[in-house]
Amino acid sequence: MENILLKDNVAEIEAYFAAGGYKPLKKALGLKPAEVIEEVKKSNLRGRGGAGFPCGLKWSFIPKDAEGPRYLVCNADEGEPGTFKDRELILKNPHALIEGMAIAGYAIGAGHGYIYIRGEFAEETELLQRSISAARAKGFLGKNILGSGFNFEIFTHRGAGAYICGEETALLESLEGFKGQPRLKPPFPAIKGLFGSPTVINNVETLAAVPAIIANGGDWYAAIGNGKSAGTKLFCVSGPVNKPGVFELPLGVSFRELLEKSCGGLKPGKILKAVIPGGSSTPVLTADEAMAVKLDYESLAAAGSMLGSGAVIVIDESQCMVKLLQVLAHFYHHESCGQCTPCREGCGWIERIMNRFEEGRADRKDIDTLYSVADGMLGRTICPLADAMAMPVMSFIKKFRAEFEAHADGKTCAKK
Amino acid sequence: MPTLTIDGKPVEVEKGTSILEAAQKLGVYIPRYCYHPKLSVSGNCRMCLVEVEKAPKLLTACSTEAAEGMVVRTVSDKVKAARRDVLEYLLINHPLDCPICDQAGECGLQNYYMDYSLAKSRFKNEDKVRRQKRRALGPHLVLDNERCILCTRCVRFCAEVTKTAELEVMGRGDHSHIDMKEGKALDNGYSLNIADICPVGAWTSRDFRFKQRVWFLKKTPTICLGCATGCLIEAHHNENTIYRTVPLPNPETNTWLCDHGRLAYKAVQGGDRLVKGVIKNGLIDFEPALREVAARIDEARGAGAVAVLGSPWLSIEDNAALARLAKDALKTENYCFDFASEQGIKDGILINKDPSPNANGLRLVKDAHGGISQAELSSRIAAGQIKVVLAEARAAGLIKDALKAAGTRLIVFAANKGEIPAATYATLPYASYFETPGTFVNYQGLRRRTTPPAEAPEGVKPLWAVVNKLAAYSGSSLRLDSAEDALKGIDLK
Repeated sequence: MENILLKDNVAEIEAYFAAGGYKPLKKALGLKPAEVIEEVKKSNLRGRGGAGFPCGLKWSFIPKDAEGPRYLVCNADEGEPGTFKDRELILKNPHALIEGMAIAGYAIGAGHGYIYIRGEFAEETELLQRSISAARAKGFLGKNILGSGFNFEIFTHRGAGAYICGEETALLESLEGFKGQPRLKPPFPAIKGLFGSPTVINNVETLAAVPAIIANGGDWYAAIGNGKSAGTKLFCVSGPVNKPGVFELPLGVSFRELLEKSCGGLKPGKILKAVIPGGSSTPVLTADEAMAVKLDYESLAAAGSMLGSGAVIVIDESQCMVKLLQVLAHFYHHESCGQCTPCREGCGWIERIMNRFEEGRADRKDIDTLYSVADGMLGRTICPLADAMAMPVMSFIKKFRAEFEAHADGKTCAKK
Repeated sequence: MPTLTIDGKPVEVEKGTSILEAAQKLGVYIPRYCYHPKLSVSGNCRMCLVEVEKAPKLLTACSTEAAEGMVVRTVSDKVKAARRDVLEYLLINHPLDCPICDQAGECGLQNYYMDYSLAKSRFKNEDKVRRQKRRALGPHLVLDNERCILCTRCVRFCAEVTKTAELEVMGRGDHSHIDMKEGKALDNGYSLNIADICPVGAWTSRDFRFKQRVWFLKKTPTICLGCATGCLIEAHHNENTIYRTVPLPNPETNTWLCDHGRLAYKAVQGGDRLVKGVIKNGLIDFEPALREVAARIDEARGAGAVAVLGSPWLSIEDNAALARLAKDALKTENYCFDFASEQGIKDGILINKDPSPNANGLRLVKDAHGGISQAELSSRIAAGQIKVVLAEARAAGLIKDALKAAGTRLIVFAANKGEIPAATYATLPYASYFETPGTFVNYQGLRRRTTPPAEAPEGVKPLWAVVNKLAAYSGSSLRLDSAEDALKGIDLK
């Protein structure tokens, strides 16, 4: 099928417009906001940032009678290790995001939209700003858009390098100028978000899908994909495959197809060992599990993992799972915001145990300690960063315990 | 008004009540570090996790609103495991320096470990996170960041109560630490409350550090006399020495205590304490000093030239004794229990516009015993009609201009040498209200009595008893055998 999001040669506004761009905005502005939300609800579009929350439902949580401003925030703080889809999407199709934001802004009654973009994405920020200016010049943003009376402005805000600011409430704190630390929920952002006002926060990929949904109808989108997992998804494949990169495929595509068709299979001589299907925080799958799984919200949940951000990390037999987990532990230890006790202390403890495994100072008892430290963090913190550390630890040990035991017994890694 | 069930017991609470507060209403204690009833909810320590039926995860009792039909369990296996885990996480990087820590004995980590964990340490061979230790911050506090559990009570106290916002959590993850914001100093007038609310030994009081193990301390509830607010406090003392005072939170007057009031106890047991009489500048024993004072009064009383001045720093009992001395022993009309007092909280927290603790109590003495106005007394002094004035030291300051002009002999009662006004002829010591009971009426009209945590230094008597003796030297008996005797005739309402 034709790509909905990743299109070639539409980065410039003229080309985007020629390909039918900004017509959905005009169409949306002719509908009532509630009708726009209804259409998005019908499409079964779900959050593409990782949690998979139904997008239309999220929009409908904005209180109808709330006084004062409402905000739309686009989460472009793409930081989950293994994920590089939003960047690609922004570079290839920035106007889909801008148009999607304008439609979403109209639907929820927001006058301002913020794109909180990862600090490292300097080039992408520049492109977005250029695109926003172009859209404003054409009357797709600004005051009285297309004569509808709807005003909407978009601002970009670069992050300063914290992974945690991809968590939506930490993002809001950072956007407000505070230290990026997740907020207690409730109240949820739909009630009390940016600057204390009702706010919707959506991922880049989610918002970029909105124009196509408005253009072709919710039913059209809902028919793509696999049941409750509707539409297409960007998969970022990394690892020893012939053609790593970002691929747009309907949800429900099998991992086998992604690997063999889109990525051209594993590199010569490589044997598949494991797959992290949805970004580094999602539980790992063994080769057998991966080759049997479909890539959608429900199928991956049934397989004990998550679709997450769609970052598919392919791991071959030459890789040491212990070393890999040490790398992840270092990352999450470094990125824990330090607010909640289990995450602040647990992430550091896990990294130190992993260092011992790598340095040949661990014994078999450490495997159980490691597992229980992770178990104690799971589901007990304000935000899911602790889970993001705990889930890989627990799944790595469950599925690759023998490698940990080999490290503990031999005091060294057989892969070295 | 939602009704919920906590550990099988139903409880009805106001809408907006947290599970933690609802449990408290039932007498069910949920352990907590970051929660404080007078600070905003932070939810970071994760110690108060409880099980709520139908919720997929454990919820923080401090931040979860009680809802109709909620079924909460605070002692299930899941909850117990979560508490054990949180304690383990908190303790892995804790220095465990309890033997040299002032918090030992009243430490949230020690107490909860005994109550909810008792687990053996699994943390081995690994270096603990090192942070800065023993850093003096401000005039009253020392910060040990290694002991800190980052509950942020101190940060929120400074942001929300004093609104001075000196403190912040700097850094991220396990290198987070409490630090001062640039260009600030931790001297906001309430800083010692931070040592109180710190659940561990991270913040300690420079005044209290290393003075006494807390388990030796006896606790006596009493009142602060630092100003007209009259906060309820608890004096912590051992073997006749007060080591610290802390606020006794109460809904009427105070949760906190200002640094000035908190350290007021030091005046009564410092080197400045007056334990003998003073004639001109020389210290002499109490009895000869008293005789000297009596002789000077006798000289002047024949001509009706003695005046007695009450004091808003003295208890109702002691003021009443002074009034009786003037009326019944010296038989003079020259006595004054009249003080102008403007009262009210001046800083939005606790400190009162009126620095004296008993202007309202003084009014009751005036109602019972009458007397002349302060202006009248001043003018009589200035006119040279008064040869001797008997007053409490701080109150004497209020008429010092009149005294200076007239060359009147001033005789004062003082607990401290520092209080004695210049050009005082004679000074008699008296027992402070940390050493003798006294009744005070605060700015809210609440009548409260001090409970003495310590005994007065040898030979130092309550002021009413000194007055009783002075009357005897003048040939009268006031029949004051106790503080209560002085209250006769006073309508306490």
